[in-house]
Amino acid sequence: MMLARVADSLYWIGRYVERAEHMCRLADVLLNATLDRTESSGQVARMVISAAMDGELEGELTPYDAALAMTMDSEDGDSVTAALARARENARQVRDQLTTETWERLNLIFLRVTGPKASREFTDAPSQFLHDIIADLHLFKGAADATMSHGEGWGFLQLGVFIERAQLTGRLLQAGFGRSLGRPVTEHAAMTALLRMSCALEPYLRKHTADIQPRLIRQFLMFDEDFPRSLRFATARIEEHLSGVGRNVDLGGAAGPERLAGRLKARLLYAEAETLTGEDSDLLVATVLEECARLHAGIYDTFVAYSLEMRLPA
Amino acid sequence: MRYALAEPPPMGEASAAAAAPYDEMIDPAGDVRPHYAALARRVASLSDEDLAERQRLLERFFLLQGITFTVYGAESSTERIIPTDLLPRIIPAAEWATIEAGLVQRLRALNMFLADIYSDQKILMDGVVPRELVLGAPSYRREMQNLYVPHSAYANVCGSDLIRKPDGGFAVLEDNLRVPSGVSYMLANREAAKRTFPGSFRMASVRRIEQYPDLLLSTLRSMAADWRPNPQVVVLTPGVYNSAYFEHAYLARLMGVPLVEGRDLVTHDNMVYMRTTTGLRRVDVIYRRVDDDFIDPLTFRRDSSLGVAGLFNAYRGGNVVICNAPGTGVADDKAVYAYVPEIISYYLGEDAILPNIETYLCREPAQLSHVLANLDKLVVKAVGASGGYGMLVGPHASKAERESFAEAVRADPENYIAQPTIQLSTAPCLIDGAIDPRHVDLRPFILSGDKIRVTPGALTRVALRKGSLVVNSSQGGGSKDTWVLGEAEGQEGPQ
Repeated sequence: MMLARVADSLYWIGRYVERAEHMCRLADVLLNATLDRTESSGQVARMVISAAMDGELEGELTPYDAALAMTMDSEDGDSVTAALARARENARQVRDQLTTETWERLNLIFLRVTGPKASREFTDAPSQFLHDIIADLHLFKGAADATMSHGEGWGFLQLGVFIERAQLTGRLLQAGFGRSLGRPVTEHAAMTALLRMSCALEPYLRKHTADIQPRLIRQFLMFDEDFPRSLRFATARIEEHLSGVGRNVDLGGAAGPERLAGRLKARLLYAEAETLTGEDSDLLVATVLEECARLHAGIYDTFVAYSLEMRLPA
Repeated sequence: MRYALAEPPPMGEASAAAAAPYDEMIDPAGDVRPHYAALARRVASLSDEDLAERQRLLERFFLLQGITFTVYGAESSTERIIPTDLLPRIIPAAEWATIEAGLVQRLRALNMFLADIYSDQKILMDGVVPRELVLGAPSYRREMQNLYVPHSAYANVCGSDLIRKPDGGFAVLEDNLRVPSGVSYMLANREAAKRTFPGSFRMASVRRIEQYPDLLLSTLRSMAADWRPNPQVVVLTPGVYNSAYFEHAYLARLMGVPLVEGRDLVTHDNMVYMRTTTGLRRVDVIYRRVDDDFIDPLTFRRDSSLGVAGLFNAYRGGNVVICNAPGTGVADDKAVYAYVPEIISYYLGEDAILPNIETYLCREPAQLSHVLANLDKLVVKAVGASGGYGMLVGPHASKAERESFAEAVRADPENYIAQPTIQLSTAPCLIDGAIDPRHVDLRPFILSGDKIRVTPGALTRVALRKGSLVVNSSQGGGSKDTWVLGEAEGQEGPQ
């Protein structure tokens, strides 16, 4: 049992924290990969900008400016600073539901990225700055994992994390390989950059050795069973946590979002990964993104903004 | 190490004869009082850098915990910590025993007073307190008339403001019976002090205050109906933008109960429910941190969006308990305050253990003329105002200010009271790296439900500006930890 408003805030903390971490990695890879002016650096820049900024600003920004905007823009809800500020604002509203250890971690990151020294630190050593935020976010997740009860509140936090993660990986796959956006990545350096953006390079190498191919990368990011950022892994966790938090809801026979989550999980679990064509992969990624959007709405309607008439005590 | 005594603050000639303030640490001969000796030795052994380092440690603790208030600017908003002083204020066991007895006596009498004026009004019939003073007070709630309140405990949480007079005795300056705040600072200051002065703390055998949240929860539970075996308690907050939000979240977390906002609650068939992920769940006791005016737009202020429509009817129906009860404000009204000693002897047949500050009611013609003749020596307060607003500190005011205030008092004498300017006692504080005395008051917290309990500790508020007598945090005030010592110093207290 927990307040609907609290569940909503925990869900959003999960989403914003995941988003902030992802944007840090994108900005960091962008800055590193574009140090030289080669074809691959152009591919990386295009990929990052289309994954992070919906492609709107393509061509207008230098990589440094793009990384700066992705990190420090306080207006854009997708920037690192804005996402962390929102995560922390949500945490403040449910301060009583978080353990002190968890809260302190998030508060510390927030104080750092919004502090007076932040933009100076970014200018001096952007990679170090981004790296530290990612490390702090891992501490936050670790503190949450180690100190919070893994009950309903935890379930909503994780739902936020994994729905956001599935969408971010999906968008990255579209930016890297999607035909609709034109120009898929081909350069070796660009492909390793893509793996770095989802923190997948080392796990990928361990599985496929240094055989870097678009088909294998795609397979890995979509269907790997154990890699925590693959679509299959994320959708399996969504299904798991949703059936956990949905256990006590009586919907009077109507279908809840669990059905969507179960179907989505099965799609990735039973897809014919080895023989899937590029076109089919594009379609599947698009489906995952659509279904995540429906899940997002379904969770809100079922747990937070339900109509009172359906739930009055007998 | 010798400490300078506080200089008497610059005052008008009229009050030049006023006694020097009582110093909490140094006796008039210039020696350290025995209960401060250990701390004074410890502080003397620390260098300026050590002290500054401890102060930084303290501030970092508050920042990390998010114990901040938000200052809203034109462009952006920034968060600041509440100024907190490093050096604890120490109260010996014997003095505390008097304070505790006095507070219990006072709250017992005030609860009896509230139960009386919201039922038979015997005290008004007997003419002990003027009828129009009570029934005409804006904080009197006609809606509470003849409403059953369990244990007659109207003010479940009370935070009285005490001051120490130049002669060393404590007196009550104000009773806060509505939604008193500050208890989270009492607890946070303690947590911080344990980190900054662990050795001195252990040596001093300071009495525990960490049980406060447990006592608060059991007090709130004792207010629920007997037939509800496992009553659901919630804390009702106005929301994250309220300056005391940290405290609301802190208490909810330490009691392990939900922190709700008005929008989380709904009423149906005169029952109150909260919206949970799995549907509606019945609420039994609401510890509300929202003022009377805002708790129910159907009964009180119609433009309030902080409360719950229908809450008061559910309360009247006995299906939910609101703590503190609405309408308790009438007992901490500044004019009713003057009658508290009479109220105590009327209900308990005892003399007040903690005295009042002498108070002149401008509604009485004789007292009004005395007030107007002595404006330069008195503090004049509007009855309805709080937080240090709407008041005139005579000795500090200019002639023009006094004259315009006198006009206001003459126009509406019923709305004003006056008190002599009291020199609050001073305690040593760390100011800009040096130790300097500042004026302090004392806010202990008293709980009343099935019984009355006083937590052996308090919030000591500090007027950080030199010479200032205003301790409100909105006007340059800070706070410090308060150590109440156990029975025999150096040994375990009666815990």
